[in-house]
Amino acid sequence: MFEKILIANRGEIALRIIRACKELGVRTLAVYSEADVDSLHVQLADEAICIGAAPSSESYLKIDRIMSAAEVGDVDAIHPGYGFLAENAHFAEVCTSCKIKFIGPSASAMHAMGDKNSARASARKAGVSITPGSDGIVATEEEALKVAKKIGYPVMIKAVAGGGGRGMRAAHNEASFLAMFHAAKTEAEKAFGNGDVYMEKLIVNPHHIEFQIIADRYGKTIHLGERDCSIQRRNQKVIEECPSPLLTPALRKKMGQAAVKLAESVGYENAGTMEFLVDNEGHYYFIEMNTRIQVEHTITEEVYGCDLVREQIKIAAGEHLSPHVVNAVPRAHAIQCRINAEDPEKNFQPSPGRIAFYYAPGGRGVRIDSHAYTGYVVPPYYDSMIAKLITVAATRGACIDRMRRALDEYYVTGIKTTVPFHSAIMRNADFRSGNYDTGFVERVMKADNFELKPTPTRLHE
Amino acid sequence: MELKDIKAIIDLMKKNDLSVFEMEKDGFKLKLQKGAGEQTVFSAPPVAPLAGGPAPTAAAPVPAPAEEKGAPLKDIVSPMVGTFYRAGSPESPPFAEIGKAINEESVVCIIEAMKVMNEIKAETSGVIAEVVAENGKPVQFGQVLFRVR
Repeated sequence: MFEKILIANRGEIALRIIRACKELGVRTLAVYSEADVDSLHVQLADEAICIGAAPSSESYLKIDRIMSAAEVGDVDAIHPGYGFLAENAHFAEVCTSCKIKFIGPSASAMHAMGDKNSARASARKAGVSITPGSDGIVATEEEALKVAKKIGYPVMIKAVAGGGGRGMRAAHNEASFLAMFHAAKTEAEKAFGNGDVYMEKLIVNPHHIEFQIIADRYGKTIHLGERDCSIQRRNQKVIEECPSPLLTPALRKKMGQAAVKLAESVGYENAGTMEFLVDNEGHYYFIEMNTRIQVEHTITEEVYGCDLVREQIKIAAGEHLSPHVVNAVPRAHAIQCRINAEDPEKNFQPSPGRIAFYYAPGGRGVRIDSHAYTGYVVPPYYDSMIAKLITVAATRGACIDRMRRALDEYYVTGIKTTVPFHSAIMRNADFRSGNYDTGFVERVMKADNFELKPTPTRLHE
Repeated sequence: MELKDIKAIIDLMKKNDLSVFEMEKDGFKLKLQKGAGEQTVFSAPPVAPLAGGPAPTAAAPVPAPAEEKGAPLKDIVSPMVGTFYRAGSPESPPFAEIGKAINEESVVCIIEAMKVMNEIKAETSGVIAEVVAENGKPVQFGQVLFRVR
């Protein structure tokens, strides 16, 4: 087992990793920007080193400074979390050349599956069905129009280097196609420094269903079921649940096997997630793989009774997958609401600033993964997520009731949060009946009867 | 410059609790350094033609004029993560001792990161007042290395 791990991240995931390390008896080194001096992950780590100014590009993305900190701190491994450098194959290579273990897959697996184009090619090779689309990067207008005609409208134009829902555009017919083609390329160039795009058939109002993969270095590769992440706003996930209300046991088995086959075909090690789109007829299509731990790993943990971050560290240290993980079966239902520092009454405008009073819900089946606390100043430089609220219960209905109850107790003042938005969704009839897809949030918010639910709890401050 | 001018400068230094006075003009260089028990250094180059030498207004171009007592010290902070060294090698003298006059381009220390020795420039001017970082110890981004008057 490692002696000391550097956590190359911030916020709630840095805290998550530090907690797993402490439970394993591994010492922790946090790195932080000047904006995160008072962050909980810095305070709870055994050691902390400031690596730069507030902007991510000057701190959390500075490979040289992170490696200097690793050297100064004499660590034997680095956990990259999610986002930042987590899917940066070059960073993984730098760690290896510095004889520091990168907690994640190999750089070659990241190359094979990180680029959406090569991931599709790997899937095709492994016989896993993919959305009909281009055979790679589409460079010219002429080529693009031909591909669009072949696969049939509507089509999706997506950045190969994309992520977080950016660098993508839908074109519903030939007339609007070229404008969307160029818009996607321009956004991709601006956001990721790479304007290359590929094309896929647009599956109208699909379900976004992903499978959790975990593999040790001895070739044992398993899946831990699926998560339904269809509840999205502007292509960003807001609510996730496990298991999916859409999947039948037969479909779950088929998709799970496909996910494992694909991971094995690229020699994948450690945790990862295979993303699929599923239509209402039970057709599934592989779209991409996330070669890292995900924000919503939590609900899989609750349903399958495992600690995925702990497994990640153990796998990286050369251990076999824990038997209770290999033999895990789903035993409950879990839902996660991402609590963001945003104002749902003002079109989700970011709401950074000082949290005057913070009270998080508790009780049976309630889990909070958060770095927030009374007096914490939410900085404006990073993503707006301040907490993950997870509930677990025996049935889906009880789980939703529990989430509704927990949201009603969640009391945060000083900043605005998306708690009222989640409260409204938990009371929505279609959500409660499991009748939703990726178009759900937009439809619901446009409906006349949509009302944000303010927190009824009033606590003394 | 005459002896009475130098005496006047020493008096001004005593009165205002200044540690160092250094000036250079027309080939004439003078440095006066107050030290607890250390000798006061007078230095003038052997070639010192002072034909029509500078008037006792020498106090004016002084880098540490009387008003500066009590002015806030400027910090030189680390621009990177690494190990702080005061000199280029164990046998070499430190780049910046207390009292040394520096300008933007002066190398004040070395920070070693990933086996690369980086020469750190002052990026400010003045006189080293304090050496804050410890030789051979790790420093982080933004950590104060020196304070400058």
